[in-house]
Amino acid sequence: MIQIPKIKIKNLFFAYGKNIVLNDISVEFEKQAITAITGPSGKGKSTFLTVLNRLWESTPKAKMKGDVSILFGDTYCNIYEPSFDLFELRRKVGMVFQAPNPLPMSIMKNISFPLKLKRCKEKDLIREKAEQALKKAFLWNEVKDRLSDDARSLSGGQQQRLCIARALILEPEILLLDEPTSSLDETASAVIEDLLVELKSQCTILMVSHYLDQVQRVADRMVEVSDGTFLGIHDILKV
Amino acid sequence: MMEKLFIFYAWSCGAILVGAVGCILGYLFCMGLSGLDLSLIFGNVRPLDALMFRQPVFNGLFPAILGTLMLVVLSVSIAIPVGVAAGIYMAEYANKRIRQVFCIIFDILAGIPSIVIGLFGFSVAVFLHHHFLESIYPCLLVSALSLAFLVLPYLIRTTQIAIEGIPDHVRITAIALGASRFQNIVYVLIPHSLSGIVSGVVLSIGRCAEDTAVIMLTGVVATAGVPKSVMAGYEALPFYIYYISSQYADSKELVSGFSAAIILIMICVVLFSLAFFIKRRLSDHMLYRF
Repeated sequence: MIQIPKIKIKNLFFAYGKNIVLNDISVEFEKQAITAITGPSGKGKSTFLTVLNRLWESTPKAKMKGDVSILFGDTYCNIYEPSFDLFELRRKVGMVFQAPNPLPMSIMKNISFPLKLKRCKEKDLIREKAEQALKKAFLWNEVKDRLSDDARSLSGGQQQRLCIARALILEPEILLLDEPTSSLDETASAVIEDLLVELKSQCTILMVSHYLDQVQRVADRMVEVSDGTFLGIHDILKV
Repeated sequence: MMEKLFIFYAWSCGAILVGAVGCILGYLFCMGLSGLDLSLIFGNVRPLDALMFRQPVFNGLFPAILGTLMLVVLSVSIAIPVGVAAGIYMAEYANKRIRQVFCIIFDILAGIPSIVIGLFGFSVAVFLHHHFLESIYPCLLVSALSLAFLVLPYLIRTTQIAIEGIPDHVRITAIALGASRFQNIVYVLIPHSLSGIVSGVVLSIGRCAEDTAVIMLTGVVATAGVPKSVMAGYEALPFYIYYISSQYADSKELVSGFSAAIILIMICVVLFSLAFFIKRRLSDHMLYRF
């Protein structure tokens, strides 16, 4: 049973041209919990995530219908209202992609990049927030002596944690993760899993995953997608 | 077997090209190196006096070297902001239909012979002289504008291709972090396409430095001295090379033509190096310095 829903979705339809990807979905996601979204490939899991930060809008021929409300402060805001600030939404709803995507810049530039976009110019504040975000992402000790190195020189796992830290520096209320460990080995995946469990006290996490054992370890709830519909949402019993 | 043949053919093509460049440079240096001295550049004026503009140089290449440098810098300075902005528009803002139409127009522009652009520049200068301002004649500014027009298609296309070549995962990263489209262009797309943009700039520098047809019609003269302003006539190395090689009186004059060609190549090398240095410093600053 959901205590406080962070996200409420009603009658969501999504299509690429004539290809309907999500069909009449109504679902709620709990605040400060990890919800895993599972299901076969190409069934709209990643698309569903992009509905929550409106990232799909630049995709040609994509169209969407339905209500998507998110709890910001004490009120639920319809994020598709024309008056809703799109850029602020994307700062509050962070996203981490399947493959690590550090920008071809230094580690420090990568981590502080979202603050630069917010026109934050105080170098001390940026350093402080960068350190906090890197610590939250369990990466500080590994990179603190080489912050001006190219971010692409990090290992795959470190790069993915850097991307998570980059999303965390904006202190998002929701974190969307699209198969965050699919390109990593077991050790790197385990670190990310521990990190996610640690992070759920700070934000609501929605994670697409193909690995049921990982879902069992990390998630609090699970929802399965099949043929464009959600086959119910259920709690995961921890052993 | 077929693949090996193709590899051999491709390698041979590359080798022939490198060999041809070597031959041209070798021939140029063999013919012109003996004539390369300070008197060729400064004539009978002391170099320091010439460099400090205390005494004009009448029988040396100094005014032509300075004229060429001013021409290239002015042309490229006019062309870069326009060409890069148009390239960004084509890659990021233009819809499919506009992009197709503009691409065709830019390709046609790239194919126009430089003499036609020179003629156009000359006609515009004459028109302005007759109808608007009598003090406008073919001059350094008219040449620079015509050359900028000539190199614009290269700059536009290289910028467009460089930006379009950025992978999607880089393109979407900043957007997902709350960047506006303009911020994405300024902070991500331009820094990451700098190499491609600089290739276009280098091409433009080479084209501006070597083109003779445009400047012959738009302001270059055989003896003008160092240009006093952008509205004045000027001397340029490509024109000197053309003039001397078609009308040399003795072998010494021909050698001075080859020497002038070596100086022109050296100017290009310096300008190319400057472009790469600026690119390196710029990308280093944009991408790595906190």
